[in-house]
Amino acid sequence: MQEIIIGIGVTALAGALAAVAGAAEDTESNIGSQGDPNSQVQLAPQMGYTHRIYNKAVSGEPPAYTLWVTLACGVAWAFLMMGMNAILAIVLGTVLATIVQGVYATTAYLGRTASLSKFGQPVFTDVLKSVTTVTMGHAFVAIFTTVVICYLLATVIGHPFSLPLLGIVWGLALGAAGSATGNPYYGKERQYQNQKFGAGVPISASGNIVRYAEAGQRSSIDNGFFTAKFGGPASGLCFGLIVFFELWRTVLFEHYLAGWGAVIAGAVIIIIFMVIDRYVEKWARENYGPYTEA
Amino acid sequence: MSVKVEASHGGIPHGKIAAAGIVIALVSLYIAVIGHEVLNVDYLAFFGGIAAIGALIWGNSAIKRLCSYGIGAGVPSAGMLAFGSGLFGMFLGVIIGGITSVWIIPVAVLVIALITGLILGWIANTVLNMKIPVMIQSLAELAAVGALTTIGLRTVATGCLEMGDGVFVGVGFIAVAFMLGAIALQHPFNACLGPGETQDRTNMLVIECGFLSMIIMAVISFVAVSAIAGWISLVIAVIGWAVSYKKYIALSKRDAAAWLDAKPFVDAEEE
Repeated sequence: MQEIIIGIGVTALAGALAAVAGAAEDTESNIGSQGDPNSQVQLAPQMGYTHRIYNKAVSGEPPAYTLWVTLACGVAWAFLMMGMNAILAIVLGTVLATIVQGVYATTAYLGRTASLSKFGQPVFTDVLKSVTTVTMGHAFVAIFTTVVICYLLATVIGHPFSLPLLGIVWGLALGAAGSATGNPYYGKERQYQNQKFGAGVPISASGNIVRYAEAGQRSSIDNGFFTAKFGGPASGLCFGLIVFFELWRTVLFEHYLAGWGAVIAGAVIIIIFMVIDRYVEKWARENYGPYTEA
Repeated sequence: MSVKVEASHGGIPHGKIAAAGIVIALVSLYIAVIGHEVLNVDYLAFFGGIAAIGALIWGNSAIKRLCSYGIGAGVPSAGMLAFGSGLFGMFLGVIIGGITSVWIIPVAVLVIALITGLILGWIANTVLNMKIPVMIQSLAELAAVGALTTIGLRTVATGCLEMGDGVFVGVGFIAVAFMLGAIALQHPFNACLGPGETQDRTNMLVIECGFLSMIIMAVISFVAVSAIAGWISLVIAVIGWAVSYKKYIALSKRDAAAWLDAKPFVDAEEE
């Protein structure tokens, strides 16, 4: 009984940490401009629209976050093996991972922008300095919370995987949740606020992204407050629910049917969410956007 | 059949870069083996990092060649594929080395990975019907690059090429090496992609990514190797990274259309 109560406590804590991680991840990737919406940022100068948006073309968010989280887990695990205090080890691992993230971000921005020289897209060093540090700050929050989730799984729940292997699994899940939930909002709405709401991206508007802010020219930092209100919390909810339900079904049902109880519970949860998703999608299509007649 | 579009013109041909990469990787790995087997010291472990950089230079050129067939969005996946298939060669090569002799590990890893890649390339081109002319050769090369990079980073972390005490695989540091290598392999070409791509800038970024990966493996290596070996790896990696990062920024400044600090862009419509 005590084991189950501790398990439920860890489940709640991990779910809350995951909500913070998801929100920070999406805010980070939108400020840095990563993932598939970045193709429009890359395209814009080629269509004659010079801009001050960051271009963090490291890879898709899932592989990138797999690296940051795995790396932080690996370094933290190494420090733990050397007898370091757990919190200090996790913080140091996260700091190293954040530095690596910042270095990759700068090389991606410089590389992509320098390769667009033919279209007159300049490198803005002020953008490089201000945006990189802001993405690093958000990345630190996202990585730290995810590593703590992995640490709780490895030590309190007694997961058979070691910390770096858990880092691969949950880093990938974090990047996938942030990418799947946050990118449609950033790519289809934020970059195209000058288009009809819900219209998607017409071919004729390709590359014509919003480049001006309330005052002056927009840099990616302006994506921060907007994402923190909308895309970020949605991604946080998504990743929080993923972590919560994953742990909840394991803690409660793994003792039934020699472990198959947890698998069946997982399948039932997926089916319930598919029904909810379908209902929400139909409701949204009927109530918003220009596609009502179609 | 896909149409070939050159990613960038001129520069050193792929064959020469590949040859240089293989030589750097194998020679560095053998120096690490000599250090461990003959001299009985572990402070030559940093040569594993040099081997990884050699392999990455080769791999970057192979990715660039493969991706000139219009699979731009597939650059990051090529890195993952390389390391996924390369792990098989790395494991089998190390097992064969354990049965016979440590000295054959580098060559065994290279040959087994090449064969794995050939089979995967054949499946991609015939069974999956991709029909990309350089597919078979490129996947073979990428698998070999993945295997050599993993064993190089493993040497930095553990001080030796063989299975050892299970720190690398058992504890799971292999996951860190896998991700560090896979992103370091795909990042340089992916980041420098575009009409203004230049070979020297991309290669400098490969070296930068290699040293950056080596820094992390050097930090982790303190678990398995002596403190002096760990510090030697770390200091060499940090110096190598700082020099290559600075050079990469200088090359970016050379290639960029303009280098502006806190100045607005001038819009075509405003002129």
